[in-house]
Amino acid sequence: MKIQNSTIYRTIIAALIAGTPLSSSIADEDINKLKTELETLKQKVDKLTTQQKSENNVDSVLHVAGYAAIGYADQKNDNGAFNTVRFNPIFHYQYKDLVLLETELEIEIEENGETHTALEYATIDILANDYVSIFGGKFLSPLGQFRQNLHPAWINKLPSAPPGFGHDGAAPEAEVGLGLRGATYAGNVKVNYTAYVGNGPELEEDDDEVHGISSGGFGRDADDNKVFGGRLGILPLPKLELGISAASGKAIITTRENGMAVPTTEPSRDYDVVGVDAAYQFGQFDLRAEYIQQEIGDTTGGLADEGGKWKTWYAQASYKFIPSNFEGVIRYGDYDSPHASQDQQQTAIGVNYLFSANAIAKIAYEINDGQAGSANDENRILLQLTYGF
Amino acid sequence: MMSKKVYLSVLFSAILFTGAGSTVTHAQENTAGDVARGAVAWTNNCDRCHNMRQPNEFTDNQWRPIISHMRIRAGLTGQEARDILKFLQENN
Repeated sequence: MKIQNSTIYRTIIAALIAGTPLSSSIADEDINKLKTELETLKQKVDKLTTQQKSENNVDSVLHVAGYAAIGYADQKNDNGAFNTVRFNPIFHYQYKDLVLLETELEIEIEENGETHTALEYATIDILANDYVSIFGGKFLSPLGQFRQNLHPAWINKLPSAPPGFGHDGAAPEAEVGLGLRGATYAGNVKVNYTAYVGNGPELEEDDDEVHGISSGGFGRDADDNKVFGGRLGILPLPKLELGISAASGKAIITTRENGMAVPTTEPSRDYDVVGVDAAYQFGQFDLRAEYIQQEIGDTTGGLADEGGKWKTWYAQASYKFIPSNFEGVIRYGDYDSPHASQDQQQTAIGVNYLFSANAIAKIAYEINDGQAGSANDENRILLQLTYGF
Repeated sequence: MMSKKVYLSVLFSAILFTGAGSTVTHAQENTAGDVARGAVAWTNNCDRCHNMRQPNEFTDNQWRPIISHMRIRAGLTGQEARDILKFLQENN
C-alpha cells in the first residue's frame, strides 16, 4: 500500500510539475469516452422509444386469453375420479377499433382418455359505432346470462353448471348466424341488447319421443327455417341488471345414421325460448338468478308427435370474506323436462380460495334429487382448480 | 303461442329502436377515453361477472382486444370501453 501511495504521490507531483497539458489530455480523453458512451446510450433509448411507439401504434393486435381447469368428483355409488382436465384458449385479433375476431377452442380429456376438441365460438365483430356492433359466426347463446358470460371455470363460482345449463339441457348453448348487439343510456338507465338470426337447434329422438334439444350450433339448417332471438338487459342501478330473452323459429328431428345426424322428412315444429335473469352486487355479495325454457310444439305424422318443455332456473349467492381470500357460495337449481330421468333439483354449497382474482381452488358439495337410482339423484363432492388468463 | 310471438316482436322492436335511436341521440357525445370516467366505469362494470382484474396484469396493447371483447360481452358502450381502456393503460 505504501508503494502504491508513493507511486500516486509521485505521479501527482510529476503532473503538477508538468503543468496542465497532462491533466488536460486526461480530461479530454475521459470526456470523449463519456461522449461516446452517452451517444451509444442515446441511440439505444431512441431505438427503444421508436420500438415502443411502433408497438403501441400498430393497427393490428393479437392477444391470447383463455382458461384451464382440473377437477375431481366423488359421487355416491360411483368411483371418485379426476374427471376434468380442460384447456380453453381464446384468440383475439383486433384491427384498429373496428374489427375484432375472437375464437375459443375447448380441448378436454374424455373418460376413455381420448382428447375432445371443439370450437366453442368463432365470431367476427364489426364495431360499427359506439352503440352497435355487428357480429357473425358461431356464438355462445346470448339468451340469459350463464351460457354466454358465466360458464368459464374461473368465472363460475361453483365447479359445476346449474342443472339444465349443460349440454342438451333447457338453456340454449350456441348458435350459428348473424346479429347486432350494443348498449346505450336512457337517462341514467343503461340498456344493452342483442338480436340475432341463426340456423337453430335440432331435435333428438329416442323411443318415439323427443329426447332432447341439441343446441350446440349447427353449420346447416336442417328444416330451412331460421330462428330469431334476442335479449334486452336493463341496469337501473350500475350493479343491478335485469334481463329478458326470447327466441322463436322451427326445429326438426334428426336421426343417427352411420354416426352422422341426418335430418328426417317429418314436418318441422315450433321452437320457442323464453328467459329472464337478474344479477345484483353490493359490498362483497354477488346475487344472481335466472330462468329459461325451451319449448317445442306437437306435430302429426312424425317420428315423435308430442312436443314438450325443458325449463330450468337457479338462484345463487356468494360472499367474499375480505380480507381473507375465501369466498362462500350457495346455489339452488331446479330442472324439469318432459322426461323424469332428466329432472333434477340441486342444492350446491361451496367454498373457494382465491390465490388471485384468476387462480381459484374450489370445493363444493351437491345435494341432488332426481329420478331414484339415476346419477341425477346422487350427492357428490367436487374439487376444482382453475386459472383464467 | 301467439303471446310469445307478440313478446318476441316487442323485444325485437325495443332492441332495434334502442340501437337505431342511440346512433342519433348520442352521436355528438363521442370523445376520447378519460381516466376519471374510466375508473368509475371499471368499478361499475368489471366485477359484474368475474373477479376484478388489475391494470398491471396486461400491457397497453394487450388491454385493447381485451376491452373490445368485454365491450361485446358485458354490453359496454364504445365510450365506456375507451374510458376503461384509458384508465387501465394509465395505471398499469
